[in-house]
Amino acid sequence: MLKLRLPLTLLVGAAVIVGGCRRHAVAPPPQEIQALLVKELPTDPTDSVWRQTRELRIPLLLQDLVEPRLLQPSTSYVAVRALYDGRRFAFRLEWEDATENADPGIATFSDACAVQLPQKVEAVLPAPQMGEKGHPVEITLWKAVWKKGPLLEKGIQAVYPNAAVDHYPFQAASLVPGATAQQEMALRYSPARRLGNDVASVPEKGAQDIMAEGPGTITPLQKNSQAQAVRTAQGWAVVIVRDPPAGFSPDSGTHVAFAIWDGAHQETGSRKMRSAWVPLHIVQN
Amino acid sequence: MAIVYNWQLGRTMSYWYPESRPQRQYAAVFDLNKCIACQSCTLACKTTWTSGKGQEYMLWNNVETKPYGSYPLAWETKLLEMLGPQTWQDGKYLGRTIFEAAPAGERVLGWRPDDYDYAFPNTGEDDCAGHVERGLALDLPHAVWFFYLPRICNHCTYPACLAACPRGSIYKRPEDGIVLLDQGRCRGYRECVKACPYKKVFFNPLTGTSEKCIFCFPKREQGLQPQCFVNCIGKIRLAGYISVPESANPDNPIDYLVHVRKVALPLLPQLGLEPNVYYIPPVHVPVRFLEQLFGPHVQNAIQTYLNAKDDPDLAGLIQLFGCTEKIVPRWKRQNDWILGIEEDGTEIVRVPLREPVFERPLFDERFQVARHNCP
Repeated sequence: MLKLRLPLTLLVGAAVIVGGCRRHAVAPPPQEIQALLVKELPTDPTDSVWRQTRELRIPLLLQDLVEPRLLQPSTSYVAVRALYDGRRFAFRLEWEDATENADPGIATFSDACAVQLPQKVEAVLPAPQMGEKGHPVEITLWKAVWKKGPLLEKGIQAVYPNAAVDHYPFQAASLVPGATAQQEMALRYSPARRLGNDVASVPEKGAQDIMAEGPGTITPLQKNSQAQAVRTAQGWAVVIVRDPPAGFSPDSGTHVAFAIWDGAHQETGSRKMRSAWVPLHIVQN
Repeated sequence: MAIVYNWQLGRTMSYWYPESRPQRQYAAVFDLNKCIACQSCTLACKTTWTSGKGQEYMLWNNVETKPYGSYPLAWETKLLEMLGPQTWQDGKYLGRTIFEAAPAGERVLGWRPDDYDYAFPNTGEDDCAGHVERGLALDLPHAVWFFYLPRICNHCTYPACLAACPRGSIYKRPEDGIVLLDQGRCRGYRECVKACPYKKVFFNPLTGTSEKCIFCFPKREQGLQPQCFVNCIGKIRLAGYISVPESANPDNPIDYLVHVRKVALPLLPQLGLEPNVYYIPPVHVPVRFLEQLFGPHVQNAIQTYLNAKDDPDLAGLIQLFGCTEKIVPRWKRQNDWILGIEEDGTEIVRVPLREPVFERPLFDERFQVARHNCP
């Protein structure tokens, strides 16, 4: 027995010494988002309040789980800061992107980002890849192309400034511009708009809310999220203001995930860089 | 991936979804020997369906001159080059389809055109292959040739657009096999644009959704042929319903042309989509070129067509093209007359096997007047 106890004691002692040394080394950055409790949420990415928050650099992964996959990595990380006003979150996402892709076109793709949270607080987290059946997620989406305004109203010159079009049937001289009959006729020539497809319009507050229960299941939501973006020297900084999950308690925190699309890389839909779930906690100054 | 049967290849193949054929498949036959590229079909479609904003460049129906014409640019040669040389043997395709050749991470082998590729909708128009050499004589096939290829969506049995859409926004109607893109569900990812080898799905940059030929389904539901068919002044098109080969019915005009007489062939069958628009190949074009477009049965189809002058059934049925706006589900020949018939036997249209010829004398004795074509 004595022979056995002696080595064990030595081992425990050595572990304490090593552990003690580590405690005195530089502490690793927290692998969680610390959302600072504030009275008012800014929507401007350049607002000075963001300097009071701790930035977390979140590595991004290829979406290579479901076809069509992204196999060539592009954006390597997104730097995230967060605020909480007791009611809503504001997330500030910043990432490097050498090219600004905000032009609409037949073969162009928009830079974009998204913030994903569980739809409701659950004992088990939904799958990080857009949730799963019975465990939905809510996603708030921002696209650079939206800054061009409502494209359908601007017409094809929004894409090709020098385009000349002879005639649209819904602009015939016999129709009164703006009259109900004229507008109804114009809608018949834009079936996506006629059917209320949210991609055919620019969201008023710069963000689209959608829910999903797995890849390929996106459904638009009528919520009230906001987004505002600025082009930085290195890429984009975007603020997204949105609701927390249903049943959210500041004491228990939640999880959040992110996605970035690089338009220059023809990333769209499931071809994206994404993060895993990242824990989020509320902190006070 | 599921394993499905593609009769055009003579074998099973991989596809994203299991085999699920519609109750009946709306289909068409185009006689390329009669197309004059007047573009009436193109305009009929354009004015009916794509005169809205963001649709300016779209041609759900187009007519291009082969070999040099293509819309969008190089739509077929680019993909054939990506696929590489493949082989047929005894009517069976031994090569890879675009589903079987899909690279890692993709559902389909495809490419997405740039907007520049849509900038020349009638490039190569009337450009000939070959040179006029001294001593050249007219023969079949022609040494110097071109032909017109009118194209719409093929409403494929195994649509690549449908397979590629990660949202399931594209569906094939069970009642008629028409492939539609749900404008309320599409989110504009353009995977369908990339996947469709015929490049018949178009992205609307102003609505952010993709759009495609709908085979004039509101007309089909009324028993009428599509706009591009009924406006064809060359009467080259016939719409109807096609059966699978083992159920082919000779009384069905499409079945008769495709399965019984095998005179109408699918476009690029080797890609594996089982397209449902069939072409009677032009008899004056070298077979080697046509085989790349229409598969290994071109020589037989051309010979059958050339023999139509001694083949009253085939010649007669070809006369039925473009003679009525109604869909003709059945047909029969009664001596020198060809009848288009409804499923219940009601006669739709009656056309003569040969148009009557009247000889008009230069001088009309009865009225004592000279009859000239030119005054």
